[in-house]
Amino acid sequence: MPTPFEVQKTTNETKLTIRGSLDINTAPALAEEIDKIVAARPTKVSVDLAALDLIDSSGVAALVKLYKGVRSAGGAVNIAGARDQPLAIFKLLRMDKVFNL
Amino acid sequence: MAPTIRLSVPGTLRYRGIAVRAVAEAARLVSGTTPRDPNDPLVDDVRHPFDTAVVSAFMEIFNNVVIHAYRRKDGGMIEIAITPTDQELVIEIRDTGTPFDIDGVPPLPDELTDETLPEGGMGIHIAKTMLDEVTYEPGPPNRWRLCKRLDVPHAATGSGRS
Repeated sequence: MPTPFEVQKTTNETKLTIRGSLDINTAPALAEEIDKIVAARPTKVSVDLAALDLIDSSGVAALVKLYKGVRSAGGAVNIAGARDQPLAIFKLLRMDKVFNL
Repeated sequence: MAPTIRLSVPGTLRYRGIAVRAVAEAARLVSGTTPRDPNDPLVDDVRHPFDTAVVSAFMEIFNNVVIHAYRRKDGGMIEIAITPTDQELVIEIRDTGTPFDIDGVPPLPDELTDETLPEGGMGIHIAKTMLDEVTYEPGPPNRWRLCKRLDVPHAATGSGRS
């Protein structure tokens, strides 16, 4: 199964791009990467969901883990680009307002 | 009576994609959605609100069966019966694993903050909110019944005059 995410780091920002399906099969690998991102205590993390087609509650949990982890260390998280089914899920869970989607 | 599509898959995550794609295609039969890529109609293509609701809910229930009924172990099967009609889609899911305590699922927090944002327990909430009916009968076999109806404008169902 192809890895549905990519991490790019610059001096000012960590950019996480997620594509395809973020679900119970793919979220564990992302969660491991999120642990690494959070451990680095970044000041800013941008998450691009424009290429994300499907998400389930396991995928949402991984993003919540990232959001909480970065913010608890004083960093900022910007999540953008959610559309279609993923956006519907965030709205249903009322996380669209938390994530400013 | 509408024809029923039957699918029997091992109750592990390895077979989740096959089941989800079958359900997505059945949802498109009801909603009338045309796949984005007609050469690959089984690609993850869920845009119509009806398809979104059905696929989102089914993914959560499939996950639930694998995790809670079969405890992520091989051995059990998941029997799926999908019945699409012009107005609705009914999915019945049976497993022979451990019964699930659906009443023990906590509700989502009233207010979402950094502290209360949930990292679990969202699946049943998603399924119940997305669908018109979600019922569960503990077994064996354990039986889920999911139903989603197409939204029909009131004017189309009445006389058109008051």
